[in-house]
Amino acid sequence: MKFAVCVKQAVDESELRIDSSGKPVLESAPTKMSTFDKNALEEALRHRSSQGGEVAVFLVGNPDARKTLKEALAMGADRGMIITADPLKIDSLRTAELLAAAITKAGPFDLVFCSEGSSDVYTGQVPPMLATFLGLPYVGHARKVELGGTLKAERSLEDSVEVVEARLPSVISVVSEINEPRYPTLIQIMQASKKPVEEVKADVLVPSPDESGASVISMSAQSTSRKHVMIEGSPQEAAAKLVAELEKEGLISR
Amino acid sequence: MTASIWSYSDSISVANEVASAAKGLADATGSETVAVEIGEKRGGVHGESFLLLTGPREAYNSPEVAAEAISRAAQQQKPRVILVGATRNGREVAARLAVKLKVGCLSDATKLSVEGEMLVAERSAFAGKVVAKVGVPFPAVATVKVGGYQALEGGDGGTAKLDVGPVDSLVRLLESRRKESGTVDLRKAKIIVSAGRGVKKKEDLGILQTLANEMGGALGCSRPISSDLGWLPEEHHIGLTGITVKPDLYLAVGISGQLQHVAGMKDSKVVVAINTDKDAPIFQAADYGIVGDLYQVVPAIEKALASRHN
Repeated sequence: MKFAVCVKQAVDESELRIDSSGKPVLESAPTKMSTFDKNALEEALRHRSSQGGEVAVFLVGNPDARKTLKEALAMGADRGMIITADPLKIDSLRTAELLAAAITKAGPFDLVFCSEGSSDVYTGQVPPMLATFLGLPYVGHARKVELGGTLKAERSLEDSVEVVEARLPSVISVVSEINEPRYPTLIQIMQASKKPVEEVKADVLVPSPDESGASVISMSAQSTSRKHVMIEGSPQEAAAKLVAELEKEGLISR
Repeated sequence: MTASIWSYSDSISVANEVASAAKGLADATGSETVAVEIGEKRGGVHGESFLLLTGPREAYNSPEVAAEAISRAAQQQKPRVILVGATRNGREVAARLAVKLKVGCLSDATKLSVEGEMLVAERSAFAGKVVAKVGVPFPAVATVKVGGYQALEGGDGGTAKLDVGPVDSLVRLLESRRKESGTVDLRKAKIIVSAGRGVKKKEDLGILQTLANEMGGALGCSRPISSDLGWLPEEHHIGLTGITVKPDLYLAVGISGQLQHVAGMKDSKVVVAINTDKDAPIFQAADYGIVGDLYQVVPAIEKALASRHN
């Protein structure tokens, strides 16, 4: 079976700095493979193990995002494609449109894996948009995936679990609980550079982006107004002081 | 007629929050709101006026079916904005609508406004570190953060019906079952005691459950407890990929405070953190911090609470 996996090079939210004017410094922010994309890739690799076939990875990003693609290849993907565009200037609709075009160009694929959302902005829009562009069935938020002649999956919703079935090819997004992603070995990391990576410019792949897209107007640090009171003392003393504070706040009834 | 603001959610309680968001936007722009229902009008859904879409025959309104039905109606009636509750299914509905209607899509709005010819949403980004203002030209689609708006009550206006014709689905539902979950809905809990990696054994969660019971609260957890260790069902997982809560009091016990977790509880009124590591990031997100061993501190809190009754 042929599997496609969509990955994103995301800003590493834990390393993101806020400058003195209260704005996040995005241009020079450290980046990483979006955390949950590793679960999508892991799931594809596991199904390749049982079904045979290949795993191709697709990424929309700036040329620097090749390092994320390489990480995916080190984890075990067979080939990659990078669609170069400025990630700060394109919205999820354009990203999905580009991924759809790239997957069509490099396909056909039996199943396209995505994570349910990226670790940086977590809109979760790209996977269903991608499926809609491709005209394929979409199974979102899967926590269990079975492949036979069809796709059978358990969808994890807020209050319920749905068991659904769809024909192949399909697009699926997985929740992060589905698996534990592997770490590449040193040999795999070295071999990753030998695997084929295709590069295509976004505007060559799909010309004339329309103007209906979303754009960021401003960003500012989330203000926090926590008290940061550290309560000292033995466990008994600290507990008594805490309970007294919580009573004062009216949070626990007398 | 002024172009209207539509609202929709697959969840009844969220539908009322979205209707409230729609009303705020309509008041600001001098337009009217329409609550969209599919197949049948559900009891408990409030709105100023309703648009009931008939045609999809299946009782199961999958996000695929909902998006196609709403898209057909929107092509006829041309709403200015379609707001969808950002449930897992709602995200799919909105994303599909954006592609079908060829309009831009905002997501997880906690505040909506109009700036010139743009719909503008405030949303949390980078695991809650940043508030982003994102704009998109009209007409537009946006998802509204669950719990972001006070639910609309009453105002049940008239219902217009529109037959959008049969809608096919590429995905077949074989089975649907309720998730197993605790007796308390964490999103409604006033007090939450939340367990993290500092808890060494599954049985030890009992210590925290006892504290939660003593305080009349509910037990939550960070991702490792539910996802990696499986000690609690996923429904207890508070964080970016789990649920978002904003109780009056949040006690983070043995939780290091990764951004992914803080994203799910940062809007709590008062946060208490208990951790052995004085440098744990959770203390940055806390009002009160105790550096100490939860196995000593939690029983001490229980005792302190109990002694007040004497």
